[in-house]
Amino acid sequence: MDATLKLWFVILTVGLLNYLSRLSFIAVFARTSMPPLLARALKYVPAAMLTALILPMILAAPASAAPLNPRVAAAIVAGIVAFCTHSTLKTLGAGMAALWLLQALPASIG
Amino acid sequence: MLAMRRAISPADCREGFLEMVPACIGLAPFGLVTGVGAAAAGADWLGALGMSAIIFSGAAQIIAAQLFAAGAPLAVIILTCFVAGLRFLMYSAAMAPYLKPLPPRWQNGLAFLLTDQAFGASIRRFHATNDARAPASRFLGGGLALWIWWQITNMAGFFAGNLIPASWSLEFAVPLCFVALVAPLLRDAPTVLAAVVAGFAVVALDGLPMKLNLIVAGLSGIAAGTLSDLSRERWTRR
Repeated sequence: MDATLKLWFVILTVGLLNYLSRLSFIAVFARTSMPPLLARALKYVPAAMLTALILPMILAAPASAAPLNPRVAAAIVAGIVAFCTHSTLKTLGAGMAALWLLQALPASIG
Repeated sequence: MLAMRRAISPADCREGFLEMVPACIGLAPFGLVTGVGAAAAGADWLGALGMSAIIFSGAAQIIAAQLFAAGAPLAVIILTCFVAGLRFLMYSAAMAPYLKPLPPRWQNGLAFLLTDQAFGASIRRFHATNDARAPASRFLGGGLALWIWWQITNMAGFFAGNLIPASWSLEFAVPLCFVALVAPLLRDAPTVLAAVVAGFAVVALDGLPMKLNLIVAGLSGIAAGTLSDLSRERWTRR
């Protein structure tokens, strides 16, 4: 299939499915209550799916002289800040600052 | 028209819009990198705009772009994005009781603006009040702010992403934005287990073709969390 066509198929299908997920209990199933087992399973979607998505991004190490991947350390710092503050901005600030600092360190020592 | 005017208060809408500004600043690098991802996957500007405007979910857009670039078949791309988007079912169920007083047209419109950030910002406010109008108006304002800002940052990333020096490691902002969402959730054992199982699985199954490790890991994590939740309940009941 033509790549542009394929992309638009993905955009429209994923867009529609996302919209239906968003609309689900607001409109489509407004009169039904959620089955208890589904409610229980859905609680774990963000933790499971988002962890699976971000971990490879954190572990992907660009060529570096550092013994430990600085991204892992920076992500741990960001995780602690996020856990304590619930703030995207502070998490981002702490994580990026930690990464820049750790990336600069080996250069200054070596 | 009258119902519309009653359903939404412009003052609350404006307030919700302005309230979302700090979160928008935090999302700027995320939007930029998502736009860069669309460009890297070979999308033209219209396709990139379609992704940000219609899919309107950073996680789904990143997944779609990664899988698209990896040459995954359509079914795998759509299924993986769908499972990642299942969290919207949960948000939808949590929001539903508060949006019930609104006319269906408004429910349909507000549902489109349901994102991790908009949900996180408004659900606490819905809990605090009995009148849905003010929080719904704020949700509309905040949701619109996020949608507009998302288009701007995605397009900026698509067109100017290559101007950002690689040494800034801006792509690291994407996992950080998700860390900001996930870390606060890790307060009970089943959720921690769901994250740990998904994390191990995605790394262990790295060799699977078409990035199938993503969906297998996600489903394993969901199953692990649900099962441990069920067994914990049975244990405490005894």
